[in-house]
Amino acid sequence: MLFNSIDFAIFLPIVFLLYWFVTQKNLSLQNSLIVASSYLFYGWWDWRFLSLILFSTLVDFLVGMHLEKQENATRRRVLLWISILINLGFLGFFKYYNFFLDNFVSIFSLFGAKFNASSLQIILPVGISFYTFQTLSYTIDVYKRKLPATTNFIAFAAFVSFFPQLVAGPIERATNLLPQFYKKRGFSYDKATDGLRQILWGLFKKVVIADNCAEFANTIFENSADASGSTLLLGAIFFTFQIYGDFSGYSDIAIGTARLFGFNLMQNFAFPYFSRNMAEFWRRWHISLSTWFRDYLYIPIGGSKVGTWKKIRNTLIIFIVSGFWHGANWTFIVWGALNALYIIPIMLAKKNRNYLNIVAKDRILPSISDFFRIVSTFALTVFAWIFFRATSLEHAINYISGIFSKSIISIPDFQNMGSALVTLLLIFGFMAVEWNGRRDQFAIQNIANIHSRPARWILYSLIIFIIGMYMQTYETPFIYFQF
Amino acid sequence: MRKFIRSIALFIPFAIVIYIVFTLIWGLFIPQKLNKNLNYRIGTYGHMFTRLHEAKNVREVDFLVLGSSHAYRGFDPRVFSQHGLVLFNLGSSNQTPIQSEILLKRFLKTMQPSRVIIEVNPFYFANDGVESSVDIIANSRNDLLSIKMALTINNQKTYNTLIYGLFRDLVGLNKSYVEKEIKSEDTYITGGYVERQHETLQWKPTILESQAPNEKQTNAFSNIILMLHEMKIPLLLVQSPITQELYKTYENRVQFDQEMRQSSTYINFNLEPALNDTLHFYDPEHMNQKGVEIFNQQLIFILQDSVLNGYNVQPEKAAQKAR
Repeated sequence: MLFNSIDFAIFLPIVFLLYWFVTQKNLSLQNSLIVASSYLFYGWWDWRFLSLILFSTLVDFLVGMHLEKQENATRRRVLLWISILINLGFLGFFKYYNFFLDNFVSIFSLFGAKFNASSLQIILPVGISFYTFQTLSYTIDVYKRKLPATTNFIAFAAFVSFFPQLVAGPIERATNLLPQFYKKRGFSYDKATDGLRQILWGLFKKVVIADNCAEFANTIFENSADASGSTLLLGAIFFTFQIYGDFSGYSDIAIGTARLFGFNLMQNFAFPYFSRNMAEFWRRWHISLSTWFRDYLYIPIGGSKVGTWKKIRNTLIIFIVSGFWHGANWTFIVWGALNALYIIPIMLAKKNRNYLNIVAKDRILPSISDFFRIVSTFALTVFAWIFFRATSLEHAINYISGIFSKSIISIPDFQNMGSALVTLLLIFGFMAVEWNGRRDQFAIQNIANIHSRPARWILYSLIIFIIGMYMQTYETPFIYFQF
Repeated sequence: MRKFIRSIALFIPFAIVIYIVFTLIWGLFIPQKLNKNLNYRIGTYGHMFTRLHEAKNVREVDFLVLGSSHAYRGFDPRVFSQHGLVLFNLGSSNQTPIQSEILLKRFLKTMQPSRVIIEVNPFYFANDGVESSVDIIANSRNDLLSIKMALTINNQKTYNTLIYGLFRDLVGLNKSYVEKEIKSEDTYITGGYVERQHETLQWKPTILESQAPNEKQTNAFSNIILMLHEMKIPLLLVQSPITQELYKTYENRVQFDQEMRQSSTYINFNLEPALNDTLHFYDPEHMNQKGVEIFNQQLIFILQDSVLNGYNVQPEKAAQKAR
């Protein structure tokens, strides 16, 4: 079920009413409703893959219980590896089997060896990368004794399958989300209205910004061989806003929906395109994944508290793995490596902890130096996204060489160029609102501070109107579903 | 919780009112180019305003034609009148069965045609119907049928255009509007036809969009068959000539013909083409005037010479299927 679909618009109020009016008095029943509605939400795409979620849930629940009781360090390690191998095994099979097979065959063919291995027609289960990491966080935290294992299967199943963030995050830590299923959730008017505000803004980002940008980004990337340098640059910029609107929009809807049910999910995006260097960007982009890799991969392999070369190695590892997490294609690996190359000099210069504050916190506009830092960081990001969006490394390289050609100094020209101007205006307005709201969890959170209710309602209605007037009129899935 | 539900219940009508107000402001003051999902264009491509205006006063015709631009650019009432036949053309740009159904409901009783002709092709059924719906909304006075059409199409562009269209109808902003008879290369001919002054083929066919039928359109088409059957008006389905180069790109030609034959009397003029791609078309989809005349003479011959019976299927059976 897509957040931006009629199905979800019907599903959400029904579950909401059942949750607060029918099951409110019984925590176990309330959690059961979450599990049932989450399975329905997921099964709407393909019910067959529900068995995968159920199996993952059972495995990690049982492993967690045994880890809790087990004192023997070797046995505890074996249990941990059982969970890791099963979870990553599923992920590896569904997501990476064909990639490894194809590359394996290619490498052997270089040496003249012939293999008769054919790729399998594998359907990637939606959200497998997300819920796999979420359940792994539980097992690892129980193993490290950061979290007691749960004995409440329903609460654990609800934690794994919680529908707002099941298919595209935020990837919640068990330490944050699981305990919320143990205690009774009380309805809070402020929390619920704040949730609705965030859903509204997320919807705007998705159906107005991301989907409109997608139309042009897709046209330009798919016809890049014939496009001028300026058109290609514009295509990359459109994709930069598409991916931000799409993914942060999903996160906003997920977090807002969770708030309607009394849950607090972590912030996943903190205005990343206002970052002043790439280290700050990675503290603000897909925070739940970045911190997951930091806690469960980067720190265990030594983090930054090692020698220079190891620090470089660790940074490269975490970014390449992060790139590979996004998809089984060399383009994602290069995208990850490129981001590592952006970060390493900053780390070596010990500037990676600069800019922990909010940009221009007490000012309306940024200083000139901050402005240039923001623009240069944005330019690096746009450049990296080309690898992320391209279909192959060859496509990315041709695209980039197309940008750096003489035709960069020309007027962009592509199909529907006229309506692209409307989208550029929308992006401009969107970024202005984001800038204005950069001190909050999401851009329009500060509308709550407006004292007059009619004024607040007019603003919400205006956003709804802009959605209605400028949305793409066909349903488009979220980009991160494919990851 | 009660406060929350009450706020939502109050906010919804408030937001609807504000939405309507902003839609009217946008329609009145914002240039069309900046209105992505409000496409109110009165008197533009295809002379729909004049056609619908004329249709109101038309009574008792021999043939009523519906369909896309293939229809209003392919069936010339002047050729039919040479044989003493009265034809009215209710075609519109990108028309789909949803619009054909609405137009039939509006005009069938007054026009009382002896036969209805629908120009069909795979895109007639594959199109989502949005462009044609906004064309009809902008160029006619809207009624409950327009609202029904918008609900069937269920597209934001259609809803926004309808809101604005209803407002313009209510205030009477289109009362003084008169559409030009000649626009660029197009000339409106009484009877709903649009003649284009082009002699030769202008461009090659481009990549075709999906030809898979849309369920809403097939449902509307079934409704049309049923409605005509109940009113005992024979229906003729015609696939008018297009260039053979374009026709050969249609993936599901054979299957489409079979389905049309099962629906009603059907003639596909592309199977034994009498027209030449270069001499009789101005673009891959539309005949020039010479092509239209040849095609119309051919059709009239079939209609008059009872050859039609040879093509006939059992209308009863088709109506049963539609039910």
